[in-house]
Amino acid sequence: MFITEGFWRSIILFILGLVVVYFILNVTVFKKLQNKSKAQNILLNVFVFLGVLFLFYKLYSVIPEIINPPQFYAQNILNRTLYVCVLALATTGIVLIFKTSNTTNFAQGMIGAVGAFVAAKLVIYFTATYTTMGNTPMILLALVGGALVAFLLGVFVDVVIIRNSKMPTVVGKQMITMGLVLIFTGVIPLIFGTIPMSVPKLVYGDNIAFTLLGLELVITPNALAALVITIVVLGILFIMLRVTKWGLGVRATASNEVVASMMGVNTKMITAMSWGIAGLLGGIAATMWAPNTSSVGVDLMIPTQVNGFMAAILGGFGSFVGPLISSMLIPVLTGLLSFVALGWENAVVYAVILAIVLFKPLGLFGKQVAKKV
Amino acid sequence: MILQNKMCAERKAKLNAIKNHPYFGFVVITFLMLIVQLLRVSGLDIPVVLLRAFGFTMIYIIIALGFSILLGYGGLASLGTAGFVGVGTYVVGYLTNQFEMSIFLIVLITIVGAVVIGTIVGFISLRIEGMYLAIITLGLSEILKEVFKNATTITNGTNGLSLGTIVIFKQAIELNHNAIFIVIALIMLFIMIITLNLMKSPTGRALLAMRNSQSAAQAMGVSIFKYRLLAFITSTVYALLGGVLYMTYIGFSIPSTWSLGFSLNILAAVIVGGSQSIYGIVLGTFMIFGLNLAVLQQIPLFVENPAISVVFNGFLIIAVIMFYPGGLIRLINSMNYKIKTNYQLWKKKRRAYIYGDDPE
Amino acid sequence: MATILSSVKVWYLSKRLISHETKRNFNKNFLPIKKTELIENFNKKIELLELKKKNELLPNEISAGIQSDFLKREFETAIQELEEKYYWKNRALVQTLKRKNIQSDEELKKLVEEKQVLLDEIKNKYYPEEINKDQKEEFVAKCVAIEESYAKKAEELTLKHNAKLEEIEAKTNHAIEMRDAKISEIKKQLAALDVKVDKGILAEGELLKLEDLSMHFGGLKAVDKLSFTVKEGEIFGLIGPNGAGKTTVFNCITRFYKPTSGKMHFKNKINNTVDLNELVVHNIIREGITRTFQNVEMIWELNILENLLVAAHTEYRSGFFGHLFNSRLLRHEEVVIKSKAYKILTDLDLLQYAYQYPMGLPYGILKKIELARTLMVNPKLIILDEPAAGLNDVETDALAKTIHKIREEYNTTIFLVEHDMGLVMEICDTVCAISFGKKLAIGTPKEIQNSKVVREAYLGGE
Repeated sequence: MFITEGFWRSIILFILGLVVVYFILNVTVFKKLQNKSKAQNILLNVFVFLGVLFLFYKLYSVIPEIINPPQFYAQNILNRTLYVCVLALATTGIVLIFKTSNTTNFAQGMIGAVGAFVAAKLVIYFTATYTTMGNTPMILLALVGGALVAFLLGVFVDVVIIRNSKMPTVVGKQMITMGLVLIFTGVIPLIFGTIPMSVPKLVYGDNIAFTLLGLELVITPNALAALVITIVVLGILFIMLRVTKWGLGVRATASNEVVASMMGVNTKMITAMSWGIAGLLGGIAATMWAPNTSSVGVDLMIPTQVNGFMAAILGGFGSFVGPLISSMLIPVLTGLLSFVALGWENAVVYAVILAIVLFKPLGLFGKQVAKKV
Repeated sequence: MILQNKMCAERKAKLNAIKNHPYFGFVVITFLMLIVQLLRVSGLDIPVVLLRAFGFTMIYIIIALGFSILLGYGGLASLGTAGFVGVGTYVVGYLTNQFEMSIFLIVLITIVGAVVIGTIVGFISLRIEGMYLAIITLGLSEILKEVFKNATTITNGTNGLSLGTIVIFKQAIELNHNAIFIVIALIMLFIMIITLNLMKSPTGRALLAMRNSQSAAQAMGVSIFKYRLLAFITSTVYALLGGVLYMTYIGFSIPSTWSLGFSLNILAAVIVGGSQSIYGIVLGTFMIFGLNLAVLQQIPLFVENPAISVVFNGFLIIAVIMFYPGGLIRLINSMNYKIKTNYQLWKKKRRAYIYGDDPE
Repeated sequence: MATILSSVKVWYLSKRLISHETKRNFNKNFLPIKKTELIENFNKKIELLELKKKNELLPNEISAGIQSDFLKREFETAIQELEEKYYWKNRALVQTLKRKNIQSDEELKKLVEEKQVLLDEIKNKYYPEEINKDQKEEFVAKCVAIEESYAKKAEELTLKHNAKLEEIEAKTNHAIEMRDAKISEIKKQLAALDVKVDKGILAEGELLKLEDLSMHFGGLKAVDKLSFTVKEGEIFGLIGPNGAGKTTVFNCITRFYKPTSGKMHFKNKINNTVDLNELVVHNIIREGITRTFQNVEMIWELNILENLLVAAHTEYRSGFFGHLFNSRLLRHEEVVIKSKAYKILTDLDLLQYAYQYPMGLPYGILKKIELARTLMVNPKLIILDEPAAGLNDVETDALAKTIHKIREEYNTTIFLVEHDMGLVMEICDTVCAISFGKKLAIGTPKEIQNSKVVREAYLGGE
C-alpha cells in the first residue's frame, strides 16, 4: 500500500550527508572560531532538527495520493494520543525521581501496575455494590483510588528502603529498585489473585469528529478524556514545581542535594514526596493504559517503562520539558513507522534515539556542565 | 632430627603454597561442579534439573565475570548483556543449522563479532557516561531483541530457534549434555583464571585507576579511550561466549529470554556477590540463579508457588544492597575473620584449661 | 615531500630509539634481581645438601666414635624436644590433679620416670657406651666415602650454578650490547638525516618554553599571552594571587586543557624537541612530564605500592594478552618495577605504608605518595600543583628537603605552583609571578621579593 521504495536509502543518505557536512564544518570553519563549542552546539541542534524533520517528511511522502495524505497522516498521529498521555505521565515520574534521588527507578512501572490492580479491584467492588453508578464516575473514582495507593507505595519505598540503605551508590539504588521489581512480580499475584481482571475505558461512545485546518479527523472519547486528565495532572504538577515551596525544594535538591539540605531544605520530605508523586503519575498512567490489554498483568507497564527511559534520555534528564516532548515524539514516530517497517518500529526508533544521543550525549535539551580538573 | 624438622617445615611450606595459590580455589570450584556430573555419569540418580542448574550457573558465572570487569573495574554500568548473550546463541544456531560450520570456527567468528560489538559500545561509552550509559545500552539490547523477534529467517522469530547437531572436525556429533557439561566447567576454570590474571595485572590496575580518578589515570599515561574499549570488548566477548555455551548446552534460544530481566539478574549477581572478587561473583551467581534453579525448585512449597522464589530473590538483592554494600563476599570475609579470631580465643582458653593459667 | 619523508623517518627512528632504550634499561635492572634470586636458590640447595650429608654421616660417626659438632647439636635438639614435650605433659597433669583435688604426686613421679627412660634411650643412641673397635676403621672409611660423594654432588651443583649465572650474565650483557649498538646506530642515522631534531627552538640547557600561551574560557582570559622558559635542572616556581591562572597553565602543559593559542615546546627524554600542542593528554608522561594534583587524586581501591605501580603504567611492555595469561615478561617486569617502587618508597620514608590503603592516611602522607608516584617513570620534568597546600610548618619544611633531595637524586627539573611564599623563596632557583594570566616578573627569588609590580599585585596598588 505504501511506497517504501528508496525510503531507507534516502534517509540514510541524508543522515550521512548531515554527518559529513558536520565534520567538514568542524574541521574547516570551527577551528578558527572563538566561540567554538557554542557554534558547534547550535549547528548540532539544527542538524538534529533537520534530520528528524526529514524523517517525518519522508514518512509523509510514502503515503499514496489516493488516500488523502495530509488527513491520513494527521489521523495517524492523533491515533497515538492515549499512548502519548501514558508515556508522558510515566516519563515525568521517572524524571522526577531522577532529579531528587539521582537514580533511575526500575520499579516505576510496577508501582503503576499495582495502582492499576487496585483500580481494577475497586471497579469490581463498585459494580457489585453501587449498581446505579455510571461508568465514568466509577472509573474516575477507581483511578483516584489506584493513584493514591501508588502514591503511598512510592512514599513507602523511599522512606523504608531507599533512605535506610547504607551508603547507597548510584548503581546500588538502581539495584534496589530492580529488587523491588522482583518482589512486586511475586507479591502482586499473591495479593490480587490469579483471576484475570480488567479496567474499563474512561468513556465509551462514538468517535468524536472535528475539523482542523480543513482536515476531517476523529478521536475516541476515551483518548480525549485521557488527554484532559493528563493535561490537568501535569499542569498542576508543573505549577506546583514553579510556585510552591516543594517545587523550589525539588529544584534545589536536583541541583545539589547536600547544599540544599544545608540551606534548610527538608530534602527527605522532598524526596519522599517526589517518589509519591512519581508513583501517583505511574498509577494514573497504568490505569489509563490497562483497558488496552485484555487483563491487567504484572508486565503491563514494562514496555512503557523502557520507552519512558528512552524518552527521558532523548529529552535529557536535566529538564522536565525535554522528556515531555520526547515522550510525544516516540509514540508518534512509532505509529508512523508502521507504514514502512511493520514490526521493526521500536528497533528503528531506538536506533534513531541512539544516533541522536551519540551526537548530543545529554539529550536534546540537556546542557553541558564544564568539568574541572 | 634437624634434617627431619627442616624437611617437614619445607613440605608444609610447599603444601601451603599450593593451598594459597591464587588458582587453587577455582580448581576446587570446578572440581565440585564436575563431581556432580561424574556422579550422574557413574549411575547415581541425580535429577536432571539439578544438573542443568549447575550447567546454567557456570554459564552465567562466565557472563557475570565479564560484567564484573566492566562494572567492578571499569566502573561502567551496562544493561545490554542480555542482547549480547542472545547474539551469541543465534550465531551458533544459524551458522550450525545453515552452513554446518565447525564449532571452533563458530567460536572464532563469535569472538570477532564480539570485538566488533564491544568496539561500537565502547565508542558510545566515550560520549555517554554513568546512568545514561546503562539506559543507552538497554536501548541497544532492546534493538537486538526486536531484531531477534523480527529477523525470522535467521532467528525463527518468537517461536525460538533450536540447534541441530554440532559439527566438530567436519563430523556432526549428537548433543551429549554430559560431555558439554565438562567442557563448560573447564572453560569456566579457564575464564576464571584469565580474569584473575587480568584483574591483578597492570590492565586491571589501569581500569581501577580510570574508575577512581580519570584525571589521575590520564596523567599516569592511561588512555581512557583504550581502556574503556578494552573493558567493553572483554565483557562482550565473555557474554557472547556465554551465549555460545548456552546454545550448545540447551540447544534452544527464544527472544523472550533475552530481555531486560536477564541483564538485571546478571547485574544483581555481580552486585550481590561483590563486584571486584571472583569468589564473590561465583557466590552471587549461585544466590541469584543457582539457588533458585537447584534448591528452591526442589522444595514443593516453591514449586507450587513460583512467585515466592522471585520474591526471595528480590528481598535478597535489597537486603544485600541495604546492609552489605560491598556484597556478600565482604560479609563472608568479615565472618571468616571473626571465626578465626574466635577460634584463636577458644584455643587460648583451651590451653589455659589444660595447662594452667599462664600458657606462655 | 622530502622534508615530510625525513620527518616521518625521524619520528620512526626516535620511537625505536625509545623502545630500545627501555628494553636495555629493563635488562640492566633485571639482571641483578635475577642473579640474587639464583644465588639464593643455590644457597638453599647447598644448605640442604650439607644437612643431608651430615644426617647420613651421623650413624656412621656414632659407630666410629667420632664426636662432631653436628652430633652434639642433634643430641641437644632431641633432648630439648623431649624436655618440651614432658614440660607440657607435666603441666597438664598438674592441672588435672588440681581439678580433681588429688594431693598425691604418684602420677607425677611416674611421668618423671617415663621421661628418664626416654632420656637414657636418647643418650644411648647418640653416645653409645661401647663401640665395636674392630669395625671402627670400616665406619671411618664409610664416612670418607659419603663425604666424597657429597662433595662431588656439591661440586656439580656449584659448577651448574656458576655456568647458569655466567650464561645469564653473558646473555644479558650480549643483549645490552646489541641494544647499545642499535641505539648508537639509530643515533648515527638520526645525525646523518641532518634534520635538526631540536628545531632550534630550545637553546642548550632549556627544557620547557612557553610562548604567548593563552587560554580563554568564554570571555574570561585565564591565561593571557604568557611566555617563560624553564631551564634544565632548576626548581622553577610559579606564583600569583588566587585565580591568577597558575593551575590553568599546568593543565595546558599537561594537555588537560587545549590552549586557545600559543606554543609550548619541551625537550623530551631522548633530547628531541616536541611540540606539546601535538600530544594527547595520556602521552605527556611518555615524553617525561609527570604531575601531581591540587586535591590529591589517589586510587583509593589500590594500596600504596599498587598506586605506584599504576604510575609506572607506561613502563610495561607486555601487552593485553600477556596480562591475560600472566606471561613471563610481565612477571619479570613486575619484579623490576616493584623493586623500583620499594626503592622510591624507602627514599621518601614511606615504606611502612606500602601495603596500606590510602583511605584514612594523613593528608601530608598522601601528598608525599603523589610525589613518589611522579618518580616512577624517571621523569625529566615534575610538575607540582601546590605541594604544600594543607600541610603544617613542620611538614612543609620536610617537603622542601624532599624536593631538594628528589632534584639531586633523580636528576630532574621541578616546576611548582605554590601559595606558601616561604617555601617558594626557600627552594626555587627561578620564580615567575603572574596575575590575571599575565606575567608580572621573572627572576631569582630575591628579585621577585623586591619587585614593585609583584607587591602591588599581592597587596593592591597604593
